[in-house]
Amino acid sequence: MDISPKGGSGSASDPKPLDDVLIRLVADFAEDGSFGHRTLEVTSESVRVLEQGDAPSFVIPISEIKSARNEPLVGGGRLEVLTKNGELLPVISYSLTLSAKFSEAARGVEQLAKGEPLLINLKEERLRCANCNRLLPEKDGVCPACVNRGKTMMRIARFMTPYRSKAILLALMSLVTTLLNLCPPLIQGKLIDTVLKNHTELDILWKLMACWLGVLVINSVLQILSGRYIAFLAGHIAADLRSAVYRAIEFLQLTFFDKKQVGAIASRVTQDTDRVWGFLVEGVPYLLLNGLMLVGITVLLFATNTMLAACILSPIPFVLGIGAFFWRPMSQMFHRVGQKWARFHMHLNESLTGIRVVKAFAKEDLEYSKFRGRNNELRDAGVAADGRWYTIFGAMTFFTSLGTLINWTVGGYLVYSQKMTLGEFWKVSAFLGLLYGPLQWFAAVNQWFSRAMAGAERIFEVMDTESEHYAPDQERVKIVGEVEFNNVRFGYDKSNPVLKGITFTAKPGEMIGLVGKSGAGKSTTINLICRFYEPDAGTLRIDGIDYRDIPLQDMRGQIGIVLQEPFLFNGTIAENIAYGKPGASFDEIVVAAKAGNAHNFVLSKPDGYDTMVGERGSKLSGGERQRISIARAILHNPRILILDEATSSVDVETEKQIQEAIGRLIEGRTTFAIAHRLSTLRNASRLVVLDKGEIAEIGTHAELMEKQGVFYKLVEAQSAINEIIGVGAGS
Amino acid sequence: MMAIAEEAPKTTSYRLFHFPKDRLRLTIGEDRSYVTVKPTWSAPLSHPNQYLALMNGKGEEIITLKDPKRELTAASYEAVAEEIAKRYLTSLVQNIVSAKGEFGATYWHVDTDRGERDFVTQSLQENAQWLSERHLLLIDVDGNRFEISDVTALDARSRLILETIL
Repeated sequence: MDISPKGGSGSASDPKPLDDVLIRLVADFAEDGSFGHRTLEVTSESVRVLEQGDAPSFVIPISEIKSARNEPLVGGGRLEVLTKNGELLPVISYSLTLSAKFSEAARGVEQLAKGEPLLINLKEERLRCANCNRLLPEKDGVCPACVNRGKTMMRIARFMTPYRSKAILLALMSLVTTLLNLCPPLIQGKLIDTVLKNHTELDILWKLMACWLGVLVINSVLQILSGRYIAFLAGHIAADLRSAVYRAIEFLQLTFFDKKQVGAIASRVTQDTDRVWGFLVEGVPYLLLNGLMLVGITVLLFATNTMLAACILSPIPFVLGIGAFFWRPMSQMFHRVGQKWARFHMHLNESLTGIRVVKAFAKEDLEYSKFRGRNNELRDAGVAADGRWYTIFGAMTFFTSLGTLINWTVGGYLVYSQKMTLGEFWKVSAFLGLLYGPLQWFAAVNQWFSRAMAGAERIFEVMDTESEHYAPDQERVKIVGEVEFNNVRFGYDKSNPVLKGITFTAKPGEMIGLVGKSGAGKSTTINLICRFYEPDAGTLRIDGIDYRDIPLQDMRGQIGIVLQEPFLFNGTIAENIAYGKPGASFDEIVVAAKAGNAHNFVLSKPDGYDTMVGERGSKLSGGERQRISIARAILHNPRILILDEATSSVDVETEKQIQEAIGRLIEGRTTFAIAHRLSTLRNASRLVVLDKGEIAEIGTHAELMEKQGVFYKLVEAQSAINEIIGVGAGS
Repeated sequence: MMAIAEEAPKTTSYRLFHFPKDRLRLTIGEDRSYVTVKPTWSAPLSHPNQYLALMNGKGEEIITLKDPKRELTAASYEAVAEEIAKRYLTSLVQNIVSAKGEFGATYWHVDTDRGERDFVTQSLQENAQWLSERHLLLIDVDGNRFEISDVTALDARSRLILETIL
C-alpha cells in the first residue's frame, strides 16, 4: 500500500516542505462517500487530510490533540481525534480493508500528542498480487491464480518419491497394456484377410488364436499387477498426505484456527488430500494410458487407410467441442446439487437435534414446510442437472455413433470397390470402438486437474502458513515461575486492542486473581501467558527472559490449565489423568487423583480408573470432569498454573471439594485465576483489577476493599445482585 | 428508555440537528436533549429505512422511530440521514461487471452506489447470504458488505453472472 515513511509526496504544492511526514495512509473513500482516495498525513506538527490533487481539506495541529481513535462503523471505520477543548472531530473514513492500519495510525497520533516516541507497526501489506494485480484473498497471502502450477505439481510429485520404483513400474505396465490392447484388432484383421476370406491355411487361425490367448493372459496379469500397485500407491500416498497435513495443522498458530471453522480445516485433511491423491494415482495413469491409446490408434488408422481414417475421425472435433463447451456448466450444475444436498442435510440435522424445541413450540408444521422447501430445491436442482446431462450425453452419443455410420458408409464403399480388404475394414471398426470411449471424457480432464491443483494449494497453504516457533533442540529450561508483564498490548483484531499497556509482575508461587467485567481482558491475559497469542507490543518475561526466547515446548510443558469446561479425551480416566505425563505409574495417577479429590468418586464407578469417559468426557458430570482435570494438572506438575473459572459451573458441595483440590494444586506454583464469584479469590496473594484492557487496581483483597475503588464496587454490585436473587427466590 | 412510538407522531417534538458541526443532537420536546446521537438501523436488511434507533453516547437506546421519514420534520430527517450516510459505509450493488470463481475465491468487479469496486469473497456458501428470494448480501474477505436489494432488478448480464457463480 501507499505508505512512505518519510516525505513520500514530494510535490511542489506541499504546504510545509520542511515537515517530515511520519505517517502517510491512503483511505478508500472520497469526502462525499464514494469510493475514491483521500490521504492522511501525520507529521510531528500536525494531522492533515489531503484530497485528490494534494489540496488539504482538514488540518489540526498535534498540540491541540488530546487523543485519537478508530471509531468502528458499519463496513468500515473513522479516525477521530478528541481535541483539548473536548471537541470530537472526525478526520477520515475508510473501509474495513484498511481499518487495522488506520487504527494503528490513530495510536501513532495519540503517541505524538502525548509526546511519546512514535512506536507503531505500519507494516506494508500487499492487497493485490504483484504478478497479476488480482486482489488477494488474504492480505500478504498467496495469489491462488499465480501459484506456479508446475511447482505445485512438482511438490505433489515429491510425495511419490518413496514409491518411485513402483510408480515407474506402473507407468511401464500401462504402456505395455496399451500396446497389447491394440493387438486383438490387428489379429482379427489378419485373420479375416488370410484365413476367413480364402478358406485355406487353417494353421494360421490356430497360430493367431494362440497369439491372442497370449495377449489375453499377459494383459490380465498386467492388469492384476497394476491394479494392486495402484491400490498400494493410493493407500500409501493418501495416508502420507493426510499425515503431513495433520502434522502441519497441529503446529499452526491459534490465529489460524480463529479464522477458520473446524469443519473447513478437517476438510483439508480429508477432501483435499483425496482430490490430490485421486488425481495422482488414478488421474495420471488414466491420462497416460488413454493419451497413448489415442495416439497409437490414430497412427494405426492412418496407416491402414488414410481416406477412411480422415472420414471417421471427422466427428471428433464435435465430440471434443461438446465436451469442452458443456463441461463447465454441467459441473456447476452438479456442484449446485451438491450444495443443495449440504443445505438439506444441515436442515435435517438441525431440526432433528432440536426436536425437543420443535415439539415444545408445536412447530412441526413449520419445520415440515422448511424441510419441504429444501427437499424441493434439491429435487429441482437434481432434475435440472440430470436432464441437462442426458441431453448432452445424447448429443455426444449421436456424434460418436455418427463415426460408426461414416465408417460403414465409406468403408462399405471402399470394400465394395475393392480399394480396401474386409480385414482392414474390420480392423478400423475395432479401433473405432476403442477410440470414442475415452474421448468423451477428455474434456473433463482439465476440470479434474484444476480441482486437484486447488486441493493441493489448500494443502500447501496449511503447510506454508507460519507455524508456532517450536525450538528444534531439546534443551530443557527450568522455569521458576516469575511472570512479568511489561507494557503489553494485544488485540485479536489489530484495529481493536483488548489489552492496552498491562504492566505487573507475579512473583514465583504467588496467586494472582484476575478481576474485571466481561470483556475487560482477563481471558486475553491468560491466552498471552499460555502464548496462544503473542503481544503486539511490549514484552512478557518469564524468570526475566523474554518468553519468546524460551522454547515453546519447554514453556508450555511447565504451564498447566484448568478450564471452566474441561476437555477430556475419549479414553479411560487413568489415561486422561496421565495426559500431561505419559508413562506415569498407576501409583502416581492415584496420588494425583487423591489430591484432586477425585479418588473416591472414581472408585465408585464399576470400572474404577478404567472407566471410559466418553467423547469429550460426556459420561462424567461437570464436577467430576473438573476434578479429573485438576488431577491431570497436578500430575503434570506445572510451575505456572492457570485457573479459568474453574468452579463456576458446579453446585456448592462440589465446589467445596474442588476448592479444596485447587488449594492443594496451587501450592508452590505461580497461579493466575479468573473467577466470576469474587469471594472465591479471597485467598489470592494479590488481585489485578482490569478495566477496558487497562489495570485499574492491584492489591490484596483486604487492601482493595479498604480502598473502596473499582474492586469494591464490583463486590458491592455482586452482593447486591445475590441479595436480589435471594429475595426473588425466597418469595 | 422509551418504547417504539406508536401513536400518531408529533413531528415537532423530536428535533435532530448537528451542533457542533460534527455532532448529531436530539431534543425531545422542551426538556430533554442528547448530544452525540448515533442513529442505528435496527434491521437494515429486512426492514430498510424503518426502525431507526437513536442511541446515546453510551450506546443505549433513546428512542426508535418506526418510519423516520414520516415521523421527523424535513430538517431533522436530513440531519439524521447525513449522519447515517457517514456511519453506514456499505454499498448497494447496481451492476456486476464481472465475477470469476477461481480456486475457492471469487473475484468481483461491481458498480455500486459509491462507484466501482473490486473485491474478493471466499467460501460463497457463508459469504453470499440470501436474505430473501431476491435479496442478496455479499461479504468480502475483510468483512465489507455489498448488498443487492433485488437481484431481478439487475441487468441481464449481471443476472447471468450471478447465476453461474452462485
